[in-house]
Amino acid sequence: MFKKESRLGAREGFAMITMMIGVKISNTTPSMFAQTGANAFWLMPLISMSVILPSVILLYYLLKRYKDKNLVELTEHILGKHVGKFVAFLLFVIFFTLLAIEGRSYTEQLKMLYFPESPTPFIFFIFFMIAFYGAKRGLETIGSTAWAFFFYIKASVILLAFLALREVIFARIFPIFGNGLVPLLTEGAKKASLFSDIFLLAMAYTAFDSTKKFRKGVFSGFAFVFLEMTFFFLLYCTIFDYNSIDKVAFPFHEITQYVNMGNFFTNIETFFMIFWLFAALIKYMIYLYLISWIFGAVFNIKEFEPLILPFAFFGIVAGMVPENAVINELVFKSNFMDMITPFLIFFPFLLWVTAKFKGDLKR
Amino acid sequence: MFFKKKKQTEDPKEVPISNSLEKNTKHLKQLFSFGLNKDFSVREITARYSNKKINLFFYSSIVNSTKIHEGIIRPLLEAQGDDLTTIITLENIKESKDFGEVVDDINSGNIVLFLEDSNKAFSVNVADFQHRGIEKPENENAVKAPKEAFTESLYVNISLIRKRFHDKQLIAEAKPVGARSKLDVTVMYIKDVVNNEVLENVRERLDNLTIDNVRNIESLEQYIEDRPYSIVSSLLYTERPDRAASYLEDGYIVLLMENSSACLILPVTFWSFFHSEEDRYLRFLFGNFSRLIRFLAFLISLLISAVYVSVTNYHNEMIPPDLLLAIVSARERVPFPVVFEIMLMEVSFELIREAGLRIPNPLGPTIGIVGALIIGQAAVEANIVSPIVVIIVALSGLSSFAVANISMNYTIRLTRFIFIFSAAFFGMLTLTGAFLLWVMYLASLRSFGVPFLAPLSPNFQSNRDTIFRKMIKNEYFRPGQLKPKDMRKKG
Repeated sequence: MFKKESRLGAREGFAMITMMIGVKISNTTPSMFAQTGANAFWLMPLISMSVILPSVILLYYLLKRYKDKNLVELTEHILGKHVGKFVAFLLFVIFFTLLAIEGRSYTEQLKMLYFPESPTPFIFFIFFMIAFYGAKRGLETIGSTAWAFFFYIKASVILLAFLALREVIFARIFPIFGNGLVPLLTEGAKKASLFSDIFLLAMAYTAFDSTKKFRKGVFSGFAFVFLEMTFFFLLYCTIFDYNSIDKVAFPFHEITQYVNMGNFFTNIETFFMIFWLFAALIKYMIYLYLISWIFGAVFNIKEFEPLILPFAFFGIVAGMVPENAVINELVFKSNFMDMITPFLIFFPFLLWVTAKFKGDLKR
Repeated sequence: MFFKKKKQTEDPKEVPISNSLEKNTKHLKQLFSFGLNKDFSVREITARYSNKKINLFFYSSIVNSTKIHEGIIRPLLEAQGDDLTTIITLENIKESKDFGEVVDDINSGNIVLFLEDSNKAFSVNVADFQHRGIEKPENENAVKAPKEAFTESLYVNISLIRKRFHDKQLIAEAKPVGARSKLDVTVMYIKDVVNNEVLENVRERLDNLTIDNVRNIESLEQYIEDRPYSIVSSLLYTERPDRAASYLEDGYIVLLMENSSACLILPVTFWSFFHSEEDRYLRFLFGNFSRLIRFLAFLISLLISAVYVSVTNYHNEMIPPDLLLAIVSARERVPFPVVFEIMLMEVSFELIREAGLRIPNPLGPTIGIVGALIIGQAAVEANIVSPIVVIIVALSGLSSFAVANISMNYTIRLTRFIFIFSAAFFGMLTLTGAFLLWVMYLASLRSFGVPFLAPLSPNFQSNRDTIFRKMIKNEYFRPGQLKPKDMRKKG
């Protein structure tokens, strides 16, 4: 009775997806969006969301139809062994690359803001070492921890939003479409991979207590984090004006340095940095665990947990490839997000069409 | 695996009882080294009712002699009747057929009667082990709570629990433990509430103990726990019978033993270490306020030294300028790095605490003088440490006393050092990481199958009695993480 059931329920799914996507509010993603969206970039999550939502729903519909199959098993089942394995391997490559690029991005943020004199690889190493030890404890523990920390992280974020409110000049959202509707739409659609994490989390579909709880948790978390993201992007847009928004590298940290609590506590950014770090570390734990799982599933490795260490290591190596932070952000991350968007959009359709063709869905 | 099991030779205790009284007496005297063993007594009587000889065997040091006299010897000498059971006036008489049982009975304070021409022995419980009376709890103090504590006698302890919970389903099951000196471990639970899987697990662990002697609950804890190397205990140790009774009611299992003035409660969660019984007796707001303070104390004790190290070393922009100047000027003449300073004081504090615990009572005040004057004042005046560090360490030490449970107290004190080192390594980055990993470690633990952080996560139907508790009227459920047979407590 105690052994069989999984400890992961709707709450854990909710907390995990919120952490995975929510951290993007506080990294360089908004500044990347601002490059093209200018002061209208708070609309871009909405556009990305509407572009990717059909695929997400389709994927989760398929997962529901084929009971007890996770992402890789589903792909292999529908597309056949060879094609399925190839597609699943592509998924692995995508998420591994994301891990490396974003890992580098976090490291650079940490370095620039808090440890300017330390070498990047060293911070990278420490960051991933902590993530590795956490990932090693298993998905159930990560889920529980995510939920345990959820309220504290969100409380700090709400506090920040509250403190930042007085800097807001609401008129700054105009012109409402920034540089124009067309570039906004195209860029928003291109960056639909903003929500790629929900595809990754589909790997844990069978690890949950019940798949119903999983869907409930993930979708409510998805909705929550979407609203949160839009709200925060709006906050950024209205705090930094039209001219400076695309020059702010880390809007979240910029705000934390902006705000103060009364006249005595004026530099409280480290306080917010703690909670930001919790969220970021938990996200990387989930990433490392699920990536190793995908790899293990593709290559039929049942005991995939020993793979976490090599992937953490290769994550650092791959993350050190870009020469500097600017190239990493504006070239690697931006282009890579554009590149994987079509794949993520069409991959569930491919599954669905094949399944329909095979006649699996008639019942 | 590496050590051979003890050889199973013919045990002289396993011999069956013969028909001859003389033979039996000789054998028993030999078993107990009669003559050499000063308090082993044998008494020969000729019973009036049958005109036959009866021999009585007992340890005179552990029996109640008036009871023997009034209940056994006198009736045997004076009363008339058909058989032994009608003559002896004491509560119950047990028959046994081999020497193994007889020996165990004598050891646990029974008197054993051997009859002429009978291959049965009769044992009567007249045990009277010496023990302390019921006193106030020494380590779990409370203002608004019953003041009785467990004492070193099993019967008294069981009676203290039964007094608090009148239910025919409250079972006190005895499990003998130990190969050489057999002592009963009493497993208490409520039969129609407790989870059978946990109960079986406990029984199994008790059965699997292959050891000569388990003296008390304190050592039993280490024999049956899940992870002996873990930084967190997986059983709750308490000396308050009211606490034990309230846990029993919720479906937990309580272990009791002779010789321990406390009990063990299992399975535990983090919250059972964090709570105190008193915050259930206090009214809703008062109880929760006390919990809030304790939670703060918990965090301060864990983190304040580490945060000080990391903030002063890596994030000094965070400190408001005036405060920063104060810290810097206080540290101006201190030659050591901050970590060393903190470690120096933390270790001294641990020394004071350990010495204060072991010091004989009459010398008690000395430790205060030495601690306060030398470590506090003189060290600051000699520029060994800065006054702020004294405040920080005193605060963290003080707060650690607010975490009353002894196991959790040790956990915190050990963890504190881990955090100080990690904070010294890379400031908030490593401190945050260490804290996160520490919480993850807690989240991954299980105590007898129950997740350690439940019901916070994973979630179970329960009263959500975690950091704060609900109004007592609104507590409908037993803790769901234990999977009790009867979920509802009220309504």
